Amino acid sequence: MSFVWLGLPDGTNFVMGTLVSPLGALMLIVVNVVGFLVVLYSNEYMAHEEGLPRYYAELMLFLAAMNGLVLADNYLEFILMWELVGLCSYLLIGFFWKKPSAASAAKKAFIVTRVGDVLFFLGVFILFSSLGHITSAAATTYPGTASTICSSTDPRWSCVGFAFTPPNANSAAPFLSAGSAIQSINFGGSSWLPTLAGLLILGGAAGKSAQFPLHTWLPDAMEGPTTVSALIHAATMVAAGIYLLAITSIFIGFTMTTAMVILAIGAFTSLFAGTMGLASPDIKRVIAYSTVSQLGYMAMAVGASSVLVDLPNSVYANQSGVAMFHLFTHAFFKALLFLSAGSVIHAIGGQQDIFKMGGLRRHLPITSTAMLVGALALSGIPPFAGFFSKDDLIGLTWTAASKAGDPLLYLFFALSVVGIFLTALYIFRLWFLVFSGGAPRDASLLSSSGHGEPSTMGSAAPHADPHAALVSAPSPASPAHGTGPHDPSWIMTAPLLVLSALAMVAGFLPLLPSIHALLPGLSWSVFGECFGSCSATAAGFDQLDAVLGGVSLALAGGGILVAWRVWGDGRVFRIPEGSVLAVPHRILFRKYYFDEVYDAFAVSVVLGVARAADWVDRYVIDGTVRGIEEIFSQVSRSGRRLQSGIVSSYAAWVVVGLLALLLFFVYVVPCLENACHSPFSLGF
Amino acid sequence: MEVPIAAYLPEALALAGALLTFLMDAAGVRRRSAIGGLSVVLYSLALLSVLGDLAVFPFTAFATIPSGLVDAGPIGPIQFTSFGILWQVIFLSASLLVAFASLSEGEGEREVPIFYGLLSLATLGMLLVALSADLVFLLLSIEITGISTYVLVAYARKDARALEASMKFYLIGALSTAISFFGASLLYGAYGTTSLSVLSKVPSAGSEMVMVGLGMLVVGLGFKVTAVPFHMWAVDVYDGAPDHVSAFLAAGSKKMGILAFITVFVASVRLFQVSNAWALYVALGALAVVTMTVGNVLALQQRTMKRMLAYSSISQAGYMLIGIAVDTPAALAGTTIQAAAHVLMKGGAFLFVAAMATIGVGNRIDDYRGLGHTHPATAASFAILLLSLAGIPLTLGFVGKFYLFAAAVEAQGMFIFLAIAGLLNSAASVFYYARILRIMYMVDPQPRSAGRWTPAVAHLADPGAGSTPPSHGGAKSAVGGRLLAEIQSLGVARWTAIVLCAAFTIVLGIYPTPLIDLANNAAFHLINNLP
Repeated sequence: MSFVWLGLPDGTNFVMGTLVSPLGALMLIVVNVVGFLVVLYSNEYMAHEEGLPRYYAELMLFLAAMNGLVLADNYLEFILMWELVGLCSYLLIGFFWKKPSAASAAKKAFIVTRVGDVLFFLGVFILFSSLGHITSAAATTYPGTASTICSSTDPRWSCVGFAFTPPNANSAAPFLSAGSAIQSINFGGSSWLPTLAGLLILGGAAGKSAQFPLHTWLPDAMEGPTTVSALIHAATMVAAGIYLLAITSIFIGFTMTTAMVILAIGAFTSLFAGTMGLASPDIKRVIAYSTVSQLGYMAMAVGASSVLVDLPNSVYANQSGVAMFHLFTHAFFKALLFLSAGSVIHAIGGQQDIFKMGGLRRHLPITSTAMLVGALALSGIPPFAGFFSKDDLIGLTWTAASKAGDPLLYLFFALSVVGIFLTALYIFRLWFLVFSGGAPRDASLLSSSGHGEPSTMGSAAPHADPHAALVSAPSPASPAHGTGPHDPSWIMTAPLLVLSALAMVAGFLPLLPSIHALLPGLSWSVFGECFGSCSATAAGFDQLDAVLGGVSLALAGGGILVAWRVWGDGRVFRIPEGSVLAVPHRILFRKYYFDEVYDAFAVSVVLGVARAADWVDRYVIDGTVRGIEEIFSQVSRSGRRLQSGIVSSYAAWVVVGLLALLLFFVYVVPCLENACHSPFSLGF
Repeated sequence: MEVPIAAYLPEALALAGALLTFLMDAAGVRRRSAIGGLSVVLYSLALLSVLGDLAVFPFTAFATIPSGLVDAGPIGPIQFTSFGILWQVIFLSASLLVAFASLSEGEGEREVPIFYGLLSLATLGMLLVALSADLVFLLLSIEITGISTYVLVAYARKDARALEASMKFYLIGALSTAISFFGASLLYGAYGTTSLSVLSKVPSAGSEMVMVGLGMLVVGLGFKVTAVPFHMWAVDVYDGAPDHVSAFLAAGSKKMGILAFITVFVASVRLFQVSNAWALYVALGALAVVTMTVGNVLALQQRTMKRMLAYSSISQAGYMLIGIAVDTPAALAGTTIQAAAHVLMKGGAFLFVAAMATIGVGNRIDDYRGLGHTHPATAASFAILLLSLAGIPLTLGFVGKFYLFAAAVEAQGMFIFLAIAGLLNSAASVFYYARILRIMYMVDPQPRSAGRWTPAVAHLADPGAGSTPPSHGGAKSAVGGRLLAEIQSLGVARWTAIVLCAAFTIVLGIYPTPLIDLANNAAFHLINNLP
């Protein structure tokens, strides 16, 4: 369904339309299920905040824009919606705008993602100029389905297309078959242009999905309400970058170079973010680093799928469904983790430092169980959802590395496998520090009856609350009596329970044919055994897959065990001063000094450029403008004198004009055509 | 093919409007609501009819021209082209806009029937221009409108400035008409016929005669479209005429000149294509560049609103001439879109000036300070119309200019200079439009003297709500109350007309495709149906 929004004189049409592609349908499920649960949860969580109309208005605008993004049928519309979700993200991160840290986090998120957006625009411009027109003339067929070519008005489920068709609409069928579609686009014989376009689009996705090196904004984005973190910065908006990569890999395709860069960035980010998650003391930031890391896994899967498609004589269809499967499961268990964290923060009055928590399991049984489910799912322990999606994703990457035979790919594969160990380690570090042990390390936490978003407008940190300081002894009363921290009411626990259930079963959902149809190229397999429908070309799994499954499971288990040894049962592991671990810890704690580097860059380079631009603006541009204005005004003043108000002078001007025209037509034109008249002989 | 009499329904309705108005005048019915209402109804019916003829979706039932006749070549001195019919929509919109908004004017002694009768006659002439397939028919149709508008400018008989404007308009008009007819007679001498369809053929007599004839037609029609240097009357006339007449001149009768220009020259440049096509292109292109530049440069210096709008109107004519000079279907479509946009922009803008004049705001640009706060709806509408005139995206003015410039770029060669000149001019024009926005929104209104804000003036301007006490704009704090006061002080019809102009500018600016499709289709048939 699309219509021409604006047609240009050269025949270019900008279209607007809606398109429910399988990937889009999957995203719709994710966005709206999580969206609904988060809005429900917000009813209690945000109840005591100021500015609720603004909160809900921005949340609804976000949901509308996110649905619009998923339903867009061309890049132009996609960009409009992409910008709109970015705007909502900015507004919601800065919801507690009176807090300077929230305001600056919002700015940071906006600016860093903007870098990606600019790259994305440039990439789309290249595609646009190479593809000719953004048109809906023919919907392209979907890989894996029969080669039905259907018209854009055809709403059939199997007929989908990101309406960014090649100039020759009839070439839709080969457009998406084995071999990258990007080869069928006319880049004028240029080999680097499609690579560049792909890399630029990757830049956009990296900005939105917080991939290295544009990852810095996402941890800071945790300044927003936890509900916003769960919805936008875990489940939906940040996944839009992965969605962009997936649909681009399907409808346009990436070149081999781009595919390998995507794989590399994804794999590197998955490990890199995991290490930072190990050192963070903030409950929400740990989960935020985990999000960055998991998004890295997804990007890696898209890259691996594209590598397989781009192999010479490739027999592989596009397998972006693997990345989307992880996106799908991740949305549920990550939203679960965030909402559980929100529940903890809510219960203990806004404290976010996990080193002050501990022993909360007795007080928050539902929350701690829900978070345990989320942590197990994230670590990839069967039968929780994360296991299945991560297993497929690791298998796919292994296949890509082995088939391509590139040592670099093996290296990145190894990084991502190490990431599995780290994932289990940091998330159970979090869980043990918060929930296990006897009592909170900061006893004042038990006295607060909660309901504190730490970022409550204008209020100081909770431990500065004189009331909290007075009651310093742990309350002996049972948590059930409501004086200490306790699980929230059903409005907040219901979403936790629903998400827990989803985190447990989402891994099995592809066994349903209707869900499996939404995941192109996904072969649902466990330890190398393929279940459900596994097409021959999509299957890239061999016996090694069973080994891989075992290895990743062992790594995850190992991570949990190490976490238990170090932080379990109320232990707190402090790195002794001067030990060999102190230096890496400080590096991790300072997030590899990325913020410092970026700040230094911003101060020196950007500010310098800004000063230069300011000078140019002041003296060159403004000067030119003023100069032009001055000239115009001068001309204008003298021109006004001609407008004398005397009618005979007007008539004289008419005659002057007539004479000029006639002279031009009768004398100048023929003369320029080498047939000059003598002044007195008109050829009447 | 036989032409059914119903095919002339729009023209018949305009003629009926004039005749009935004068009959009612004779019968002593001079109430504005009766006479103006009649005109509004008749123009609306005519508009429905032409929209039906264009097969615009919900109006197809109103079609009166058999579809076989449209774009099927001339029938005697007339022809039905989809291009002409589309321009009839533009003309009728302009007339309807002015007729409707004028319902909010005060009751004059004898002036109401004169105003509406002449408006109908002028509309008739414009509609006939759109049907012309013959040079004499075309020029006579132009004269019907011309003579009506000379008188229309002076219909307020006691206004000395209007009388002076009318006299200037008439004198220069007479001169231009004489030149036009002289040019036409030269063409007749060259071809032996006045049918426009021969203009693309090689004449039987000397080609110099054709060139001189066409040159004279450029001058005669250039007067109508206010091309520089034939524009000088326009500023004095727009300034001196009653505001609603200025609105009609800018929105309506100037478009007639543009259409006449297209009708004559789109055919005749084909003649030059075999020999020296570039000559006419250069002449028209130069005319376009000079017109928009002079219009913009002089608009910059104006201190009064109406003179500024008059010069801006001249520069807009320059943009429209680009399309004629480029002479491709896309370019002519661009001119059509720009013309449609200009009806809304200039019509609405002059109506806003008229509305402000009735509540005692002076004509100087500085007098408009703070109107954004006292008259939120109409000032916002005016702001939108100014932005559209400047060509800011998401307005129809942007679409028109964009289409014109894109067509010029696409046509390659020297036409690219036309696009560049147009762009530079657009950029320069933002300066004087933005100045008005600043004055309306960022400068606080100074306390006005009582004389300017007398309730009596507002009362006079407000026949529809005569019993309610007139209110001072901005006195009430509630938005609803302020809006109501604004509507009451400006008159319901005029307020609605201004707001509708802005609304159409925005709606068609965001989703212009229906208009673009119509214009493209019409321009395509116009060029391809030439002999």
